[in-house]
Amino acid sequence: MSERGGFEALDACVHCGFCLQACPTFLATGDEADSPRGRIELMRALEAGELTPDDAAVVVHLDRCLGCRGCEPVCPSGVGYGRGIEAARALLATKRRPAPLARAALWALTTPGPSRIAYTLARALRATGIPSRLAGWGRFRFAMGMLAATKPSDGRTLGRPDGKRRQPPSDSPTVRQSVALFRGCVMDGLFSHVHDATVRTLEVNGYAVREVPGQVCCGALHAHAGLREEARRLARANVAAFGDGDEPIVVNSAGCGAMLKEYGHLVAEARFATRVRDVTELLAARGPRPGAPVDAQVAYDPPCHLLHAQRIADEPYRVLAAIPVLRVVSLPDAAQCCGSAGLFTLLEPAMSRAVLAPKLASLRTASPQVVATGNPGCLMQLGAGLAAGGLRATARHPVELLDESYRAAGYYA
Amino acid sequence: MITAGLVEGLAGIVGARHVRTAPAERVTYARDGLPTHRRVPAVVVLPGSRDEVIAVVRLLATHGVPVVPRGAGTGLSGGALADASAVLLVLTRLNRILGIDPTNRIALVEPGVVNARLSVAAAPHGLYYAPDPSSQTACTVGGNVAENAGGPHCLKYGVTAQHVLALEVVLGDGRVVELGSPGGEPWGPDLVGLFVGSEGNFGIATRIAVRLLPLPRAVRTLLADFMSLRTAGEAVSAVIASGIVPAALEMMDQSCVRAVEDSVYAAGYPRDAAAVLLVELDGGSDAAVTADAETIQRVLQEHGARSTRTAADSRERERLWQGRKKAFGAMGRLSRDLVVQDAVVPRSTLPDVLETIARIAATYQLTVSNVFHAGDGNLHPNISFDGRVPGLKARVDTASAEIMEACIAVGGTITGEHGVGLDKLRYMPLIFDAESLTAMRAVRRVWDPEERVNPGKVVPVHACREWSGAAKPRAIGPGSAERDRLGAADPGAVPRGSWEDVPA
Ligand SMILES: Cc1cc2nc3c(=O)[nH]c(=O)nc-3n(C[C@H](O)[C@H](O)[C@H](O)COP(=O)(O)OP(=O)(O)OC[C@H]3O[C@@H](n4cnc5c(N)ncnc54)[C@H](O)[C@@H]3O)c2cc1C
Ligand code: SF4
Ligand code: SF4
Repeated sequence: MSERGGFEALDACVHCGFCLQACPTFLATGDEADSPRGRIELMRALEAGELTPDDAAVVVHLDRCLGCRGCEPVCPSGVGYGRGIEAARALLATKRRPAPLARAALWALTTPGPSRIAYTLARALRATGIPSRLAGWGRFRFAMGMLAATKPSDGRTLGRPDGKRRQPPSDSPTVRQSVALFRGCVMDGLFSHVHDATVRTLEVNGYAVREVPGQVCCGALHAHAGLREEARRLARANVAAFGDGDEPIVVNSAGCGAMLKEYGHLVAEARFATRVRDVTELLAARGPRPGAPVDAQVAYDPPCHLLHAQRIADEPYRVLAAIPVLRVVSLPDAAQCCGSAGLFTLLEPAMSRAVLAPKLASLRTASPQVVATGNPGCLMQLGAGLAAGGLRATARHPVELLDESYRAAGYYA
Repeated sequence: MITAGLVEGLAGIVGARHVRTAPAERVTYARDGLPTHRRVPAVVVLPGSRDEVIAVVRLLATHGVPVVPRGAGTGLSGGALADASAVLLVLTRLNRILGIDPTNRIALVEPGVVNARLSVAAAPHGLYYAPDPSSQTACTVGGNVAENAGGPHCLKYGVTAQHVLALEVVLGDGRVVELGSPGGEPWGPDLVGLFVGSEGNFGIATRIAVRLLPLPRAVRTLLADFMSLRTAGEAVSAVIASGIVPAALEMMDQSCVRAVEDSVYAAGYPRDAAAVLLVELDGGSDAAVTADAETIQRVLQEHGARSTRTAADSRERERLWQGRKKAFGAMGRLSRDLVVQDAVVPRSTLPDVLETIARIAATYQLTVSNVFHAGDGNLHPNISFDGRVPGLKARVDTASAEIMEACIAVGGTITGEHGVGLDKLRYMPLIFDAESLTAMRAVRRVWDPEERVNPGKVVPVHACREWSGAAKPRAIGPGSAERDRLGAADPGAVPRGSWEDVPA
């Protein structure tokens, strides 16, 4: 960690305003204090001691930041907004206790023992079908919609124009490249079907996926909440679990991937960070191998932590392009956050829904059958939004679609 | 006077959540795109409709409180800053495109519509909004009207003034006037023309009717690079002398090119060139534009271009332009602080002026980067510095003033498109005498007799004849107390630093 704790990443800001229209919260309120440029002003004043971390207005406007980092790739001056806001949040955390709801959510979702129970209960509730019937607007019903959105697809949602079975891949390389799977917390608890799809699709493309015991939550939710020490503790545990090798670490959650790639800054583990790969990066590196046709229209919605934080733009498209017939549409505001942002959707529901609204409106116009996105939070937020808005589409991870295409092709026979 | 009652009244009009009074919130509005000026407004109000704007202005008028309109705050002359005696009226929420009439090629917009979004909305009709300030992805049409904004393509298509047909304006006392007409040629004096470029001094534009143009059918974009600034400057004159009017003709020097190439907007400009020119040609037919492009390419080569290149497709063209348009932001990479000048010189003097600027930079040991609308002779020298270094600000300031004097000496003027605002008040007496300044002020008072809309900007009151000639300032209406104080705080007649309002 640098001497100034990350605030130095803001020095380059020259107040040009090019980030304003990329910021979902500024678009929602039109208020400079809810814009990247305005928040940088607040953070600089915090660092300089001109404003204090217990100033209510500072807290409100910094809390309202999604941390989506949509402001970074548009900044000509190269301001490291993400590092700045994390530094500022760490400073705010020194003066207040995290919101009880945030604490409870972190505890239930990320601590090994309690989270196992929480996820088991959640899965049991999900299986009853009640959450999907209750899905709607309002805090509780939206949360139900989020849970319902984690349900694995029954594989019958999408059309298949030809029933032909493809050749299973006989040409698989003899020496398969070994990769280690990062399981995470929410992904593991509620999206284990995405992990399964990840393993299967990677194997078809010549990777051998290794399970790594002893790994823990990536710490992203803690870092975003300003709990840097807890994030560091988790980071060190992961570094120890994944060992010293060169083996790539594959992640299918954009939020976790972005965090793991930040370990260089967080705990000075730059080498670990260079091993981290999003699943779409590994698949795209091999083509990936085409599967069987799927007759569906898909809107790809890039997770902010993939597009802005990891700057991975083309790879998910290349994964979807491996599915013949599939029609991929781009939304005009695809690059804008869906309002999920980790715990944000629970803690700042009003802003979160305001940010979601324009995205839902353009989805309504495009009316795809599937919205593809590679991050658990986004899957849940979009899934809940689609349900609440009465749209028929479902939210799925891109590798789930590839997996379905591979299954139809008979690669798993 | 700003009282608790007034704040309550404002909240009654726009809703409490759209009134900002907390110090931290007001601080975020203390600067615009030229961050060396800083003023913290007393209150920030964000109305959501024109009716709310009218009601807010009326309420402020009854309290005798000055009001400063603000769009996106990308202005480069400190124009959108309000001090502790004034209310800042932020127009970002008035961002509706009220209508596009493709047959008559007219759009009616609210002032907070972002420039680039208007062109996006017009594109399905094969139309676009021509004035394209480099800040177009951020700045508002209202701010463009107030500053009479230009842009690279204004060389051929004209600046904002040539594209505004009609305006609805809320005057300082809350009365609403309509200027011009979207339908036909206006009669009588060109009041729209008078308002455009008035820097928020005449009133608040709440509705704007603009002309849209058909998207050009054929476009060619050339990039030429030069081994000296002088040859690049000479080539600019040669291009214009060829008789072909390029759609755009822009220059960037080495320091600017390198900053862009280091940024996410890297466009593939040669880093070793002393300067690059970006020339765009457009028109109705491919053949004609290709022929023009070939002519221009030859002219550039004959005038010392080391190499020239044509963008292969629209993607490469977009990349070449994005690099140019984001150049100012990219220069933030060079150091912590940045000031930009905005002078216009006769095009033929460009080679000399560029050398003079380089000499001044060397004398004061400062990094000066140039990126500008070469075809118009509209220079933008950017000075990069670290404001924390003691004494450096003063040096930058002296150098800025010298650059400005050099531009004026060759027959130039002090602003091409960024406006006077606060920043160039100090230069006004260099180019206008007291009589002219007094006349300007008189025109302003026709619109805003109390000088309550955006007070203390554009015309340095101390330099007016009534101030400098008559021994004592004359009291004019209830706003005079504010004015006096503002006048004292502002660097008025003396061409000296405007750094007083920068925190140490
Ligand atoms: C990176 C960068 C590049 C730029 N490039 C160019 C360029 O190429 N050409 C150019 O001309 N300028 C350029 N500018 C300057 C600036 O973008 C323009 O002056 C723009 O028109 C300002 O618009 P705004 O919405 O940001 O206005 P603001 O900065 O908010 O306000 C500017 C002035 O307009 C007044 N105002 C705002 N809205 C209204 C309204 N509705 N009614 C009355 N008055 C109003 C304000 O009081 C203020 O005096 C650039 C700026 C930046 C940061
Ligand atoms: S784009 Fe970058 S330099 Fe410009 S205001 Fe935003 S953060 Fe600052
Ligand atoms: S991280 Fe997202 S919400 Fe926060 S300032 Fe940047 S763009 Fe806005």
